[in-house]
Amino acid sequence: MAVAEDTTELDPSLANLVEELSLRFEQEIVAVQGYRDGIPVLWVTATGLKTLMHYLRSSASIRFQMLFDLSAIDERARVHREGQPASDFTVCYHLMSFTHPCDIRLKLALSVSALSAPTVTDVWPNANWYERECWDMFGIVFEGHPNLSRIMLPPTWEGHPLRKEHPARATEMEPYSLSQERQQHEQEALRFNPEQWGMTRESKNSEFMFLNLGPNHPSVHGVFRIALQLDGEILVDAVPDIGYHHRGAEKMGERQSWHTYIPYTDRIDYLGGVMNNLPYVMAVEKMAGIEVPERVKVIRVMLCEMFRIASHLLFYGTFAQDVGQLSPVFYMFVDRERVFNIIESICGARMHPGWFRIGGVAQDLPVGWDKAIREWLDFMPARLRDYDTMVMNNGILKRRTQGVGAYSTKDALDWGITGAGLRATGLEYDYRKARPYSGYENFDFEVPVAANGDCYDRCAIRVEEIRQSLRIIRQCVDNMPQGPYKSAHPATTPPLKEKTRLDIETLINHFLSVSWGPVVPPQEVTTIIEATKGLNSYYLVSDGGTGSYRTRIRTPSFAHLQMIPEISRGFMVPDLIAIIASIDFVMADVDR
Amino acid sequence: MTLLFYSAGAIALIATLSVILSSNVVHALVYLIISLLSVAVIFFALGAPFAAMLEAIVYAGAIMVLFLFVMMMLNLGQATEDEERAWMQPSLWIGPGLLSGILLLLFVSTLLTHDVTLAPVEVSVRDISLLLFGPWLLAVELASMLLLAGLIAAYHLAKK
Amino acid sequence: MKFEVGSALSIAAILFTVIVVAAMLIWVERRLLGLWQERLGPNRVGPFGLLQVVADMIKIFTKEDWVPPFADRFSFLLAPPIIMVVILLSFSVIPFAPGVGVIDSDIGVLFVLAMASLGAYSVMLGGLSSNNKYALLGSLRAAAQMVSYEVFMGISLLGVVALAGTFNLREIVLSQADGWYILPQCVGFLIFVIAGVAESHRLPFDIPEAEQEIVAGYHTEYSGMKFGMFFVGEYLGVVLVSSLIVVLFFGGWLGPAFLPPIVWFVLKASVFVAFFVLLRAAIPRPRYDQLMNYGWLFLLPLSLLNLLLTGAFVLWQEGM
Repeated sequence: MAVAEDTTELDPSLANLVEELSLRFEQEIVAVQGYRDGIPVLWVTATGLKTLMHYLRSSASIRFQMLFDLSAIDERARVHREGQPASDFTVCYHLMSFTHPCDIRLKLALSVSALSAPTVTDVWPNANWYERECWDMFGIVFEGHPNLSRIMLPPTWEGHPLRKEHPARATEMEPYSLSQERQQHEQEALRFNPEQWGMTRESKNSEFMFLNLGPNHPSVHGVFRIALQLDGEILVDAVPDIGYHHRGAEKMGERQSWHTYIPYTDRIDYLGGVMNNLPYVMAVEKMAGIEVPERVKVIRVMLCEMFRIASHLLFYGTFAQDVGQLSPVFYMFVDRERVFNIIESICGARMHPGWFRIGGVAQDLPVGWDKAIREWLDFMPARLRDYDTMVMNNGILKRRTQGVGAYSTKDALDWGITGAGLRATGLEYDYRKARPYSGYENFDFEVPVAANGDCYDRCAIRVEEIRQSLRIIRQCVDNMPQGPYKSAHPATTPPLKEKTRLDIETLINHFLSVSWGPVVPPQEVTTIIEATKGLNSYYLVSDGGTGSYRTRIRTPSFAHLQMIPEISRGFMVPDLIAIIASIDFVMADVDR
Repeated sequence: MTLLFYSAGAIALIATLSVILSSNVVHALVYLIISLLSVAVIFFALGAPFAAMLEAIVYAGAIMVLFLFVMMMLNLGQATEDEERAWMQPSLWIGPGLLSGILLLLFVSTLLTHDVTLAPVEVSVRDISLLLFGPWLLAVELASMLLLAGLIAAYHLAKK
Repeated sequence: MKFEVGSALSIAAILFTVIVVAAMLIWVERRLLGLWQERLGPNRVGPFGLLQVVADMIKIFTKEDWVPPFADRFSFLLAPPIIMVVILLSFSVIPFAPGVGVIDSDIGVLFVLAMASLGAYSVMLGGLSSNNKYALLGSLRAAAQMVSYEVFMGISLLGVVALAGTFNLREIVLSQADGWYILPQCVGFLIFVIAGVAESHRLPFDIPEAEQEIVAGYHTEYSGMKFGMFFVGEYLGVVLVSSLIVVLFFGGWLGPAFLPPIVWFVLKASVFVAFFVLLRAAIPRPRYDQLMNYGWLFLLPLSLLNLLLTGAFVLWQEGM
């Protein structure tokens, strides 16, 4: 059993479990490792993978209810692999427990000559899309997968982009040209064939109608396509098709430096703004060993909560609009504008400030920053009450959304649903409470839960979260600690001004720190946050360089969309629109 | 009024002929609606505005809408149109044409032998109501019962 | 039988006014929505954005007159004018003021109902001929909705007809000299308003063109002036329903003598036009089956009951 040197102490019960597992599954577990994020890594054999998963899910002393993430690493160019079994491609399964504050990561080593792993879709239903993504990006075959086809990229794509040999820039590739045959081929690939989507053309009684909803449609919130199989207006099946917004954010992570990747994260959940920076910078800080000052933590929390409110307001308005209410979205955009004015006065930008830095934030708060926030905090509650009257207490809206698109807590966990969608089913699970980060343990707020898990409840949860966020922001304003806005740690980027330009030595340090950015020791770290739409995590692998070796972004929306067919069958087209609206997704967050 | 009568009659004839000759079902339906509306105008010209309005509301406005509704559900395409066109062969027209010709002859001969004058008689809404709920009350009630039975049957079928 | 037609000049004047009012209503609605939604609305073209309508008209008239190659040309071209013609014809029986009106007919109410039932063809043919699945869904919804709500609309105003004892709209107004029908017929009024919104398929009952669900419903494939006719037709419908409400339930042009009758009529109608705009701003859209259930299971029995009680009341009064 090899353990990497630089690790944190495991939680005692988790350490016991790892001990127990390595005795019980001696054959199946090849190696055990640990890293700074406190998540034990078990290298398993292909044959033992499912046995171990079944055990962890239903019999272990700590049960893991959710397959939180599934991704892979191309290990062929990695230098620092001390203590790891030989592997060309590693499949990583991140399991999460909702009863204990614990995660566990299983890794499966594959060689490039036999690039196939057993599918785990029969253990975790949500593995379906994750495995398809893995196949799409790495070319790893999952034996027994029901529909192993490309998910992000078009079916005609050649190669697997997240492999190290695949170019990251267009300039590294042949100039693009489209010949007649190629065009024919591409167009042929676009032809809709119901059988390919797992649909039949007719039933005993009727001929089905196939409706292509999207990628451009007024209420799919971006470029998202759903192929509908309709019997009249009743949905027989609805199959989501994603990837129209894919920008290769994970690939970009491998070519940017640690510091220059921050603005890219802003654009993952483009409504979340700096909320996206947080898990990324926290992951880098953990790897580099940076402790940020208290003031930084509170500033970060305050801005994150502002963005949570901005995002929820947009959700609230579009939700009402998708149910056919014309006005609320205008009121809420006006309110959102007020939040953005405050954010702009602090960060200098509105939607995508990219304002968090490794080891701190970009600037200190401006002079007199709290006045506008206090005014806004006093202003909002009355507005929220108006919205309750207008939207949440409206009879037609209730009839349109109550009992529509409902699912149970178990279904939610099976499908990897997090955030408001999970709390609407009655499970009181908020990552800020369950495993506080960035100082959330110091704040006083409640976690709203609902019982039915339908569209209405999902909206009601978010409405209440706006109020709780206002509470948190007020506490931030009242108790903002004094102190530096950046850590004094040498890896802080850019470094504190006082430490630069003193002599040639500090000037060189500053120059390197700004041009290359920090050098991060070889590590693997996952940080998870309660983002606007659910749990967002960054899984970063450092190979001891100035940039990430592998950046894995786990977004909540990806998992949520996968559940659409499950919860929309048997409803009507207008219900599907309500369901889509209640999920609160952003396509950039899905496709990355 | 005479001009109105004859022009409406001509439109009705042309529209009805187009209903038969049109190979596109939707076009045929549109012509049928026009035909019904021109019949309504004829009623109006003859002094029966109430009947004219009912013709427009019930036949043109409600029954034909249901026809069109069914047409939408059936998803008819080019194939049906070709099929219709195939039926337009002259050989298929001989039988019905002959029979209609005989009917026309009979009709024209009756018109010529009998002395028919076109004298519009005013029939107001009130007159009709008095007739319907006076001498014909039993018939009206029977018809309404029949409709009620139909309504209940439709409800039962829809429940299934 | 009474059937009087106004002079050619007055017909032309009414036609022109009605169309201009409907076009201006686009501006009125956008400004009112802006007012109620914390935004400005069109305010760039001309004073208060008044010329916005002119600009829109120029745009819409100069657009390419395009028929999709996959559409059924005959029905595609036929559909938009139907709605315009049918609604404009309905205006012919509306008595705006003493001496102002196109036709004074004994079958006015029935004529309006007949025209309303023909209006459904515009929407149905438009959707069917577009050969587009969203348009087809829209026109299927439209057919069911309009046919059903015609029924409730017809029955709801029969109460007024029974009280006035005539189908003549001008006589209905005159019979309200000692009391508007809104009081005895408040149930009929409510049903008529709901059915009126459903008939002119405006939000909250814009189910045939619900943009969040079926893009633009039956007029998805339409552009240029053909779309313009649907668009103006919708506003003409709003004016028509408002005018009918005023005529049937609010005493038409009747009002204290310090204002001329036509002004009373316009004032009353404007209130209802504004009400329709407010309705659009305030209420979400029910689902298509919910709307149908509401109609057949609630409005139909209610309107029949209303008619029954009104009939009984009329008989009782005659017996006295």
